[in-house]
Parts: sequence; structure tokens; C-alpha cells
Amino acid sequence: MTDAPVLQVDGLVKHFPINGGLLQRQVGAVKAVDGVTFSIRRGETLGLVGESGCGKSTIGKVVLKLIEPTAGRIVLAGEDVTALKPGAMWTHRRRIQTIFQDPYSSMNPRLPSGTIVGEPLENFGIARGAARDDQVAQLFRRVGLRPEAMRKYAHEFSGGQRQRLGIAKALSVNPDVIVADEPVSALDVSVQAQVLNLLIDLQEEYGLAYLFISHDLAVMRHISHRIAVMYLGRIVELTDKRTLFTQPLHPYTEALLSAATAPDPKRRRQRKKIVQGDVPSPAKPPPGCHFHTRCLYATAECRVTAPPLLEVAPGHHVACLRRPVGGDPGPLSIPG
Amino acid sequence: MSGAPGPILEVRDLHTQFSTLDGVVRAVDGVSFDVARGETLGIVGESGCGKSVTAMSILRLIPRETGRIASGSIKFEGEELTSLSEEEMKRLRGHRISMIFQEPMTSLNPVLTVGTQIAENVVRHLGVSWKQGRERAFEMLDLVRIADSRRRLDEYPHQLSGGMRQRVMIAMALSCDPQVLIADEPTTALDVTIQAQILDLMIELKEKTGTAIVLITHDLGVVAETTERVVVMYAGRKVEQAPVEALFEEPLHPYTRGLMRAIPRLDVEADAAGTRPRLQEIPGLVPILTQPIVGCAFAPRCSFATDRCRNERPPLVDAGAGHLVACWEVDRVRRAA
Ligand SMILES: Nc1ncnc2c1ncn2[C@@H]1O[C@H](COP(=O)(O)OP(=O)(O)OP(=O)(O)O)[C@@H](O)[C@H]1O
Ligand SMILES: Nc1ncnc2c1ncn2[C@@H]1O[C@H](COP(=O)(O)OP(=O)(O)O)[C@@H](O)[C@H]1O
Ligand code: SF4
Ligand code: SF4
Ligand SMILES: [Mg+2]
Ligand SMILES: [Mg+2]
Repeated sequence: MTDAPVLQVDGLVKHFPINGGLLQRQVGAVKAVDGVTFSIRRGETLGLVGESGCGKSTIGKVVLKLIEPTAGRIVLAGEDVTALKPGAMWTHRRRIQTIFQDPYSSMNPRLPSGTIVGEPLENFGIARGAARDDQVAQLFRRVGLRPEAMRKYAHEFSGGQRQRLGIAKALSVNPDVIVADEPVSALDVSVQAQVLNLLIDLQEEYGLAYLFISHDLAVMRHISHRIAVMYLGRIVELTDKRTLFTQPLHPYTEALLSAATAPDPKRRRQRKKIVQGDVPSPAKPPPGCHFHTRCLYATAECRVTAPPLLEVAPGHHVACLRRPVGGDPGPLSIPG
Repeated sequence: MSGAPGPILEVRDLHTQFSTLDGVVRAVDGVSFDVARGETLGIVGESGCGKSVTAMSILRLIPRETGRIASGSIKFEGEELTSLSEEEMKRLRGHRISMIFQEPMTSLNPVLTVGTQIAENVVRHLGVSWKQGRERAFEMLDLVRIADSRRRLDEYPHQLSGGMRQRVMIAMALSCDPQVLIADEPTTALDVTIQAQILDLMIELKEKTGTAIVLITHDLGVVAETTERVVVMYAGRKVEQAPVEALFEEPLHPYTRGLMRAIPRLDVEADAAGTRPRLQEIPGLVPILTQPIVGCAFAPRCSFATDRCRNERPPLVDAGAGHLVACWEVDRVRRAA
């Protein structure tokens, strides 16, 4: 891990317009991503965790420039790519690749898997013909598939094998960053372990940076170096994984950790601090701190003031009014 | 009602099959288990191992065109279900045996309000008046802690969040005081904080009403935290069964052991250096169910396998204290720690 970030995101905002009324005029906006800042170094995994709809995939799509940000800045390997138009995106695309939850949906069912994996090599003019086939065969071997399988079609592979195809394709152009959006969520645990091990091996071999998106805290803790916890479009806590799991400071992180199940019957009934209520809609987020409607520790001020993300201890960023810089990291009191 | 002796549900040597273009799928291949009155039994296994087909068989909801219960017996309160008429089954379903599924939208009627749907179930099965049915619906929404329950009675399923819909499903499933509730992946589609709420609710209601629960899931964490006894399935077969503490303390089947070592765990201390220890993989893939499996279904992936494993199906044996395991090499597995 070197110190210069390969991906730096500053104040990223993505609002999706909500149209309504007779004239289908814009009547509001879904604040899918609402001011997000983070960076990832070479060889590092930054985990993005949070409940459905909190904006994880949207961040992934924006940094991949599959959709345009509403505001903010994206710097990839030192180059500001925020304003790059699709035509100028080639070099950008080569540096940042993606792995999806369901690689099948993005694969042409009529093409042999070898052609699918080799597509980026052709598109970027890296290799053609026999040279391309050689490289694809190597990629197949590297992700644990037999090169003979290059002739098979996507539907002839199992879920785990298709995920290996997706990884091989992402790897083919030798990217700096891979955005992995729930890459193991659809896999059975016995296969999930195979894919997680492969992702870690590849990262160590090639110095890849991962933006790893997942709702599964155990998977997240396994693969990440640092983790950002999101709630309704904002990062509420960001720190190294050990600190996050041993000394979470944000009430939402605490709630997520206590809601997670573990394969240990002795832990049952230990889950005392279960947050109540549903996640509010990102089209109508609560004012002040977005989490105040479900927070055990909310005060009157939390309903009006949005907490900024502060570095409260070295490397530990928290957005909670009750967690000031240098404050007591002990348990919060519940207001009477 | 619950004073009667014996298990409430007895499944014996169940075989459920489907005819497909690829051949006969042996989805459930000789499964037996009991459900005791008021207990929570977990059925766990990877996708495709036959959990849902087991549930559908008990409820007699296997699609007739392609599937059938080929053999075996399912007794509810001593009464054989496999030979009941569809009319008789309809009287049981939603009344004495009820169910909730992963995706509540598929089992809720989109054009009826939730109040009407719950009331309808109560009126149909208990023969009460509409007014009493509505009152029961209101009580049930309160019981599953839906805030503002009076108003919610008149809402349609699409107006509710995923977590609320699952609460409505639970309210409906419990509205006629069933003896058994079959819950197939009831929290799989939900966020973790909502999952925690729903699991807590189910356990609390079970304690209140004495309804036995069959909780089907692929998630070992959910099983560990909510069930009392667990059946582990692999390729349509039961490979292990044990009280939940015993299963997690000392899993005896190589497959169960493999599963537990393959999952990243939150409850084990992460090391300070932030290194990432390799997860133990289970090599290979689950078998294809259209080919008859001779011997142990796990043999191609098992590091303990011998020739006998490949040729003879291991019987379930009691390894002590109600811990059953179907493995020829259980003594070796045990010693291997
Ligand atoms: N193209 C779009 N148009 C309008 N709204 C959108 C669009 N894409 C996403 N959204 C909304 O933005 C919010 C964030 O969505 P996003 O897909 O990023 O969530 P997520 O964190 O990835 O959730 P999940 O865990 O369910 O994948 C949601 O409210 C979603 O409905
Ligand atoms: N209607 C059907 N027609 C054909 N095969 C089916 C049908 N339903 C289930 N199966 C097959 O039966 C097996 C068990 O499925 P299921 O019980 O749904 O698994 P799970 O354990 O994931 O719930 C799988 O191989 C599945 O493909
Ligand atoms: S700012 Fe207030 S409401 Fe938000 S997390 Fe902190 S204590 Fe809770
Ligand atoms: S019977 Fe044999 S193959 Fe099957 S689990 Fe036991 S040791 Fe492994
Ligand atoms: Mg997503
Ligand atoms: Mg199922």
C-alpha cells in the first residue's frame, strides 16, 4: 500500500429528479448521494456498507462515470475525470473496472465466454486474434477456470464460475481500481469463500484498489481495510475495520452491528439495542441528522442540525453531533 | 390443544420429484424429521438443496403439472396429509398450518387492503362475522407492532415498506392461531436492522402463542440466533440434525463443518494487523439432482471420502444426545478436530 490515493472523491453529489404533475415538471429529487468524500490507495479495499437504497451502487456508477455526478470531484490516478465526456473516457475506463452482483445479466448469451472476457482487450486495442486468445487463456487460468471453458457460453457456468468470468474480464485491461458491487451476495457460502479468496489473492498480486460494496458486515470485515458506513446518501462513519468493529462511534454503526447475526447460539438474546422503525425514503430524508428518527440518543438539536463528517480521532471520521473531535469515545447516554 | 402427546408434525422418508426436460429432479430425496409442539426447528442448506420443496410438500403446494410427492408420509396431529383432498387441505392452510415466504408481495393480494385480507382469512376459517374479522385484523396488526394500525388496515400492500409487508404476512399467518408456522426465508429480502426486528417479533410471538415454527433459511447466523433444533440439508437429503447449541459447538458432518469454516465471521476477533486469513473453501459444486446419487451426495467434495462413501448411502446415526449425522467416517471426522 502506497500513500498516494488512486481514487479520490470529493463532495460527491448525485440527485435523481422526481417528475410529476401534468407537465411532468421536476417536483423534487432523490438525494441518492449527498456529499460524499473518500479516497482509496493502491492495494487497498475500501468497503461501502449500508442498508438498501442508501446510495452505495450510485456511488459506484458515478465513479465509473456510467452516470454523471450532480456535483463534486472524482480524481483517478491523479487526473481529474469529473468533467470528461464519454468520448474522452477511454483511458479512464481502462483504469477503473467493475464486477457486478449478477455478471450474467451483463453477458451476451450468444457469445462464447472467451470472447466475452476478451472484449475489453479488443476494445482497448490491447490484443487481437491469437495474442488475445493467449491472454484470455491466461486470465481463465488465473481466476481458476480451465482454458478449454473459453468455448462455453455464460449459461453453461455456475454462479460462482460466472463471477470468475466477470473478474477475468475486469482484470483483462490491468486496471488500478475495481468497483465490486455486491460481488458475492448472490453466491452460496461455499462458493462465496472461493471468490473472496480469489479477490484477495488478485489484489495482493496486482496491487489493485477495491471499492467493495456490500450489505453483509461479515464479508465486509473480511475483505476491507477501511470501511465507510452510509445512511441515506451520506457517510456517517469511516475508519479502519478494526476500529469500526471494536469501537464504533456512530449510533447507526452500533445499530448495524447489533442487528447482525452471527453463527453462534450463545449470542442470541444479546441483541438488545435493535433500532426500531424503517429507513426513511431518500426522496424525503428527515431534516437535521438523517438518522434522528431512529436514533436512541437523538436530542432536540439533532432534528435541526446536520452533523458534518469530522475526523474525531486520527483516521476515524464520524458524523454525529454527540461525537465531537477529541470527545469521550464511551457509550452515549440516552436523553431522558 | 397442546396437551396432546407426540410431535405436531411428522415427516417420514419424503421424496418429492419434478419432471423436467433434463430428467427427473429429485428435489427431496428421503427426508424425515419431527416438529415438536411449540418448538422452533431450523432447516438450513445452500440454494437448491430442497428446503422450499420440503415446505411446499408439507403444505401440498407442489405444482401438479410438473411435480409430485413420489413417496413418504407427512402427518399433522397424527393425520396423514399426503392423502387429503385439496378441499381438506384448504381448510388447514392459513388456519392450523400457515406460512410466510421470502417475498410477501407474491402472497398478498395487491388489490385488497391488508385489513380485508386478514379479515377474509379469519372469516373463512373461523366462521366469524366480518365485523369480528376486521377487529381481529386490527388486533393482529397491533400484535406485530405496526404503528398506526387502524389507518394501516385500509392501506394496500404497495403502500407499505418491505418490513411492514412482512409484518402483515406474519399477522395474517397467525390470525387463526395456527399450531405450525412455516417460514421460508422470511427475512432474506430485508435489511439487517429490519431482519433483526422481524426475527425478534417471530420469537416473541411464538413464546406468546405456542405456535411451532419451521424456519427455513440459508443463513447460519439466523439459524443460530433463533432456532432450538436444526436440520441440515444437502442435495435433497438430511445430512445432520442436532440441538442448535450442539450443532454449532461440534458440527459432525463434513459438509456442515465446511460451511461453518467458509463463512467470514463477525464474532471472531479480527487480528490487529488487519491481515485477512484465507477462508476455507469447499471445493467443487453441489451435485446435479437429475442424476441419481449413489453413495454419499457430498463424497465428490469431501476430504474424508472413502470407496464406501462413493458406493453406499450413509444412514443417519445417533451420535449421542439427539445429534444425528449421516456420515460413514464420523469417528475420523471427530478426531480431525
Ligand atoms: N436512475 C435512478 N433514478 C431515480 N432514482 C434512482 C436511480 N438510481 C437509484 N435511485 C435511487 O437512489 C437511491 C440510492 O440507490 P442505490 O441503488 O445507490 O442504493 P444501494 O445503496 O445500492 O441499495 P441496495 O443495497 O438496495 O443495492 C435509492 O432511493 C434509489 O431508488
Ligand atoms: N417447479 C419446479 N420444477 C422443477 N424443478 C424444481 C421446481 N421447484 C424446485 N425445483 C428444483 O428442486 C430443487 C430444490 O429446490 P428448492 O427446494 O427450491 O431449493 P431451496 O433449498 O433453495 O429452497 C432444485 O434443484 C430446484 O431447481
Ligand atoms: S447526530 Fe443525533 S440523531 Fe444523529 S446519530 Fe448523532 S445522536 Fe443520533
Ligand atoms: S459419508 Fe464419506 S463422503 Fe459422505 S460426508 Fe461422510 S466421509 Fe464424507
Ligand atoms: Mg446497490
Ligand atoms: Mg428456497
